[in-house]
Amino acid sequence: MGIRYIKEPGLIDPVMIAAWPGIGNIGLIALDTLRRSLRAEQMAHIEPYEFFYPRKVIIRGGELVELDFPASDFFYHRNGRSDLILFIGEEQPAEGGGVYATGSMAYGMANLVLDVAEKYACRRIYTSGAAVSPIHHTARSRAWAVPNSPNLIAEFKSYDNTVLMSDIEGRGGGGNIAGLNGLLLGIARRRGIDAVCIMGEIPVYLQGFPFPYPKGSKSVLEVLSAALDMWIDMEVIDEMARQSESELTRLYEKLPDEIKQQLDRLKESTVAAAESEGLITEDDKKKILEDIDKFFKHDGGGEQH
Amino acid sequence: MSGEEAIRLSGSPDMEGSVLIVAWAEDASSLAERTADYLIQSLGCREFGEILPEGFFPMGGVNVVDDVARFPQSKLYVSDSKGLVIFKSSIPRMGWHRFLTSLLDVSEQDCRVKEIYTVGAMISSAAHTVPRLLISIVNNKEIKAALEPYNVVGDNDYETPPGQKPTLSSYLAWLAGRRGIPAVNLWVPVPYYLVPIDDPRSVKRLIYFFNSKYDLGVDFTALDAVIAEQNNKIAGLFEKSPEIKNMVRRLEVGEGLDGEESEQLAREIAEALK
Repeated sequence: MGIRYIKEPGLIDPVMIAAWPGIGNIGLIALDTLRRSLRAEQMAHIEPYEFFYPRKVIIRGGELVELDFPASDFFYHRNGRSDLILFIGEEQPAEGGGVYATGSMAYGMANLVLDVAEKYACRRIYTSGAAVSPIHHTARSRAWAVPNSPNLIAEFKSYDNTVLMSDIEGRGGGGNIAGLNGLLLGIARRRGIDAVCIMGEIPVYLQGFPFPYPKGSKSVLEVLSAALDMWIDMEVIDEMARQSESELTRLYEKLPDEIKQQLDRLKESTVAAAESEGLITEDDKKKILEDIDKFFKHDGGGEQH
Repeated sequence: MSGEEAIRLSGSPDMEGSVLIVAWAEDASSLAERTADYLIQSLGCREFGEILPEGFFPMGGVNVVDDVARFPQSKLYVSDSKGLVIFKSSIPRMGWHRFLTSLLDVSEQDCRVKEIYTVGAMISSAAHTVPRLLISIVNNKEIKAALEPYNVVGDNDYETPPGQKPTLSSYLAWLAGRRGIPAVNLWVPVPYYLVPIDDPRSVKRLIYFFNSKYDLGVDFTALDAVIAEQNNKIAGLFEKSPEIKNMVRRLEVGEGLDGEESEQLAREIAEALK
């Protein structure tokens, strides 16, 4: 068991980009949008059996006709310069049943993804996910970049709308990247492959909701466009972001005034303003999250679920 | 760890073309376990192996049920004379593919299994007095046709609803199909108010099927005695409580009960069958 190749295309100086589900499905939506716009073709998949329990059975006339597992697919796109391998995982293999990969299965899957990267001599790997941030949903999401080597810092500092962990107030350059987005960086380093995780910001108050957040995905695509020196069609992601913001604004209007006032303070939140007074404190953040959770569970907003 | 390492056998059975019955623990009214236990006892099956728990169950302690510490078990039994293999197991919590592959390996290589059945319960709103249905899900058309003479309902359409997962029995049938082994998931709808207790009629429905199809020569005397005892206790409750009797009558004609009535029925039946 392991990787099954459908095709083994010849690729020039390829780069791999990988994504799994996570908060707001930011990485997954970014990569799926890219895959569709490039019309990338499937080249391989990871056999699911060691990693996943089946997610769906289809029975017709008393006969079991299909058992469906989460897919972990590799796609490729040739651009004649620096080709792309895209990896899209529909689930993270989690031993404890959580959303994020854990344990030996996570390590096994990360290594299989990197086996493909090594086979094709990928010069760099990008993973993508969400950065939970004290921003307002009307604000532009930034992209947080976390490289697995200090040599990459200068490059990512130079990109528009991109920040490093050390740029985020209170983090001191530290933090944690949950699941395979993080694990892949670490294992890639062990194999001597450069890797960077690009995380699009999602408002802190949306982190627990099952909504996609395409604004965060767009910020990931913008960094990838710059880093790959490649034009990416943003029309689809822009439309998704518009729809998402419109839905969120509709929902926002239903919030009690007290919560809205708290959240409105996030509109002031920027990197430069982060050290100013009057922004949201950790206590404020906790209270907002509790209030919003209470609101969605008990007081309204049910139509969105 | 390979599939071979997951299994410990104490002597392989000597058989050609056997039938495997798989019973997962913890289903409604413990139907699968009770069915397996009755077959094991009445056919004098001997234990011949097990799937070891490591890698399939969390080793963070033990569960205590009815005052006793329980540890997961996955044991194989055989009746050499009847060509029957029974696998009685707790439901693994992880490593499902390796677990089921290990079971299929021993079934194919050591027992020459030609057909696989899983047995289990569904929860029903029907009355306990209604004859038990036997519902099948198969992994190929040939075995579906072979079930036709046995009064098995086998024409259902189903898709796993969002947020739920397929059963382990479906997973096993699918894996068996990939190896070309015919497999059947047999389900018996158990009246909801017997789910926490026992439903010997459902046990009998399953065993009757296996007895008819494979000429096992099962003695039903003990099972019939359990059914009679349950009938008597429920009849006693009906005498004391016409209200409960009326609720069961309403279920018999397909009338639903409201939430409070359903709870009262389940509570009083449980009390009567203590």
